[in-house]
Amino acid sequence: MPGFDSDERKLLDESLQSFLTDTYDFEAFKRHMRTEDGPGFSTQAWSQYAEQGWLGVALPEYAGGIGGGMTELAIVLAAAGRHLALEPFIGTLVTGAMAIEKAGTAGQQAILADVAGGTKMLALCHAEPQAGYARDYVATIARKDGDAYVLDGEKSFTLHAHAADVLVVSARVGDASGPAQLFLVPRDASGATLNVAPALDGRQGATVTLNGIQVGSDARLGDNDDDRLDLISDIIDLGVLGSCAEAVGAMAAVTDICVDYLKTREQFGQPLSKFQVLQHRLVDMSVSTEEARASVHAALQSVDDKRPGAKTAIWHAKVQTCRSARFVGAQGVQLHGGMGMTDELVVGHYYKRLAQLEAMFGDAEWYLGQLSMA
Amino acid sequence: MFIRTVAEDTSLDAFREEIRSFCETELPAEVRRKQSAGQHLEREEYDDWLKRLGAKGWLTGKWPAEHGGHGWSPEQHLIFSEELGRAGAPPIVPFGAVMAGPVIYTFGSEAQKQQHLPGIMKNDVWWCQGYSEPGAGSDLANLKTKAVRDGDDYIVNGQKIWTSQAHWADWIFCLVRTNSDGKKQQGISFLLIDMKTPGIEVRPIISIALGHHLNEVFFTDVRVPASNLIGEEGNGWTYAKFLLANERVGNVDIAKFEHYLDELRKLTANTHEGGRPLSEDPSFKRRIAELEVNLATVKALMADQLAATREHGGAPTMMGAAALKLRGTELQQSIMQANVDVLARYGLVYQTDALHAGWNGEAIGPEATAGLMYEHLYRRAATIYGGSSEIQKNIIAKGALGL
Ligand SMILES: Cc1cc2nc3c(=O)[nH]c(=O)nc-3n(C[C@H](O)[C@H](O)[C@H](O)COP(=O)(O)OP(=O)(O)OC[C@H]3O[C@@H](n4cnc5c(N)ncnc54)[C@H](O)[C@@H]3O)c2cc1C
Repeated sequence: MPGFDSDERKLLDESLQSFLTDTYDFEAFKRHMRTEDGPGFSTQAWSQYAEQGWLGVALPEYAGGIGGGMTELAIVLAAAGRHLALEPFIGTLVTGAMAIEKAGTAGQQAILADVAGGTKMLALCHAEPQAGYARDYVATIARKDGDAYVLDGEKSFTLHAHAADVLVVSARVGDASGPAQLFLVPRDASGATLNVAPALDGRQGATVTLNGIQVGSDARLGDNDDDRLDLISDIIDLGVLGSCAEAVGAMAAVTDICVDYLKTREQFGQPLSKFQVLQHRLVDMSVSTEEARASVHAALQSVDDKRPGAKTAIWHAKVQTCRSARFVGAQGVQLHGGMGMTDELVVGHYYKRLAQLEAMFGDAEWYLGQLSMA
Repeated sequence: MFIRTVAEDTSLDAFREEIRSFCETELPAEVRRKQSAGQHLEREEYDDWLKRLGAKGWLTGKWPAEHGGHGWSPEQHLIFSEELGRAGAPPIVPFGAVMAGPVIYTFGSEAQKQQHLPGIMKNDVWWCQGYSEPGAGSDLANLKTKAVRDGDDYIVNGQKIWTSQAHWADWIFCLVRTNSDGKKQQGISFLLIDMKTPGIEVRPIISIALGHHLNEVFFTDVRVPASNLIGEEGNGWTYAKFLLANERVGNVDIAKFEHYLDELRKLTANTHEGGRPLSEDPSFKRRIAELEVNLATVKALMADQLAATREHGGAPTMMGAAALKLRGTELQQSIMQANVDVLARYGLVYQTDALHAGWNGEAIGPEATAGLMYEHLYRRAATIYGGSSEIQKNIIAKGALGL
């Protein structure tokens, strides 16, 4: 695999940053998020990302991608986080595309070219109402019916599921004791009911009820009957890492915004940045962001190098990122005083995005619990 | 240390029972339904409930008897709060009963007492607080809104900001500048202003919780009778600080803490992980235990401040109020965060439409989700309003530790 060298990574980062700085300011963000009857993001921006080749950074070359690794994808996600981009990066490029790339047949992988081209969006619908953060709880059933499968079950709220062309749905084959498998289900399949709703951070998503959905045998991802829970867990881990990268970008922005604000806001006859407690707070925010960045970077390297400890490294990065995100996000609001509490200021939107990312695929407490039992 | 005596008073059981059964019979069914669904109440719905409490004199139960209160002991006040919280009753709106009232009965004229106290006790009149300005937040004494004497009136010009519920209020108590010479604190006066006076404009501010609670209030040549001045001209800072001490104790609303801890217990019982309820998860059990310990501590701090209020003639000590506000608001945020950490298992959905009665969409997750999310987001401000946590620490550093 060619991989990117440092200069290429830098170039990727710079081109993303300059594009988003020019096209995705706070006003654009609010417009995309709140356009009546819109999907809560910019489909135009998504096409532009595709034109720039950013949607394919981590996709294989045979699918029109550039063949980079998770690190390159994380550069895209961190830039998205820094600019509060609303588009379906994680569901489409990480959990959705990687499930298909890792487990799909050659025929199924054809869809990846459409992903790189920006014409198809994906969402992984795995979690269920009774599952919480547990990854091995699947009650959705795929009943075999001749050459077809019939899917019945309920999937929890998934960001961007309402916009995905194809849902990657987990289900147990046969009955509750059957192997868990993944199925490619068109969002508009008959029997699929979506309840579309806004999330805390203003992006949209949906719960999905599967009521006797019929799909062909070619909808079953891959060509064997083995249980896929390990694979699903690996895919979720990549999603975790992606969400951490996005959070790191958002935290870096919050710290910068707070530094600028405290330098200009005056109380007691001087800029707030002159108060040493506030200087130390900013330092803690900056160091927290760095801790998260470094731990995510370490995890990215172990994933891209296929090291045996990659999973643990991802979970460590997740716990660290959750802690940092909770602290940095809350301080962003706190340090702005009343201004931080308004919808009119960007910092509150970062607070909400960070809370959303923190909760994605599990929070720090949950991962600590898992690590302590491992 | 450990000096305050608490009289053994078995009649408190009866007192608790009285509050409890009152809540059971008097809390209107629609209000109860909205509260448990986490929906916003209309002003009229609050008003209905607060008037019922007002008729019993319970909004102002801890006021001294000479000013129309019941002279409740700290223990009685805490019991009252606990029972309201457990009943899921709407929160008490503090601007009249907690803030304006004690200033008026302590520093106001006879005429002002007669004009305003009954309306506050019965909740016939809604108040709001005109302290903060764009340039005067933490540095409150920097306020610029001007009141210039003109015959029997003051003419007020300027702007207030972050004025909670100004759009619902009948009256506003305002800090205004009557003198720009000398020390900033010395030129401040305390004025009561009828919100219907010509020249007042209220503009909404939408918060991160996506609701309207905050406002900007603009004053353009607003004519206010000089008889609405509290105490002496130029002495407003003294009254302002007295009010802030009461406000900070009021910021720690035990009823809310009880209510949202109950919500948390319910959520953990009804939310599953890997098919098992979270209430069986040792880490959640421990977390709830920790919140309960913190609540017990905050209640103990609260009892001391309520006792100090009775002893010191109407307000707690600045230091004690600061410590209580600091820890109380941190606890409030921890309780809300724990609720949200459970709700995150449903995807952290925030259906703001569900906050309004009559919405007929399909809620995702537990019924109260939107209300809990709203409260969580809004209470990010608990460590900002009433003087931020940083300012409370400065007060303790200077005042208590002499730094
Ligand atoms: C939800 C809400 C409701 C409110 N309701 C009302 C109301 O009804 N009436 C009213 O008059 N006001 C109200 N306020 C205003 C509130 O009192 C002010 O927001 C608060 O005093 C902080 O002022 P500020 O917003 O200007 O922040 P700033 O003073 O600009 O503070 C910004 C940050 O700097 C910190 N800081 C400031 N000075 C220092 C220092 N010396 N040392 C260390 N840190 C410092 C602060 O703690 C804060 O974190 C409300 C505010 C909110 C958010």
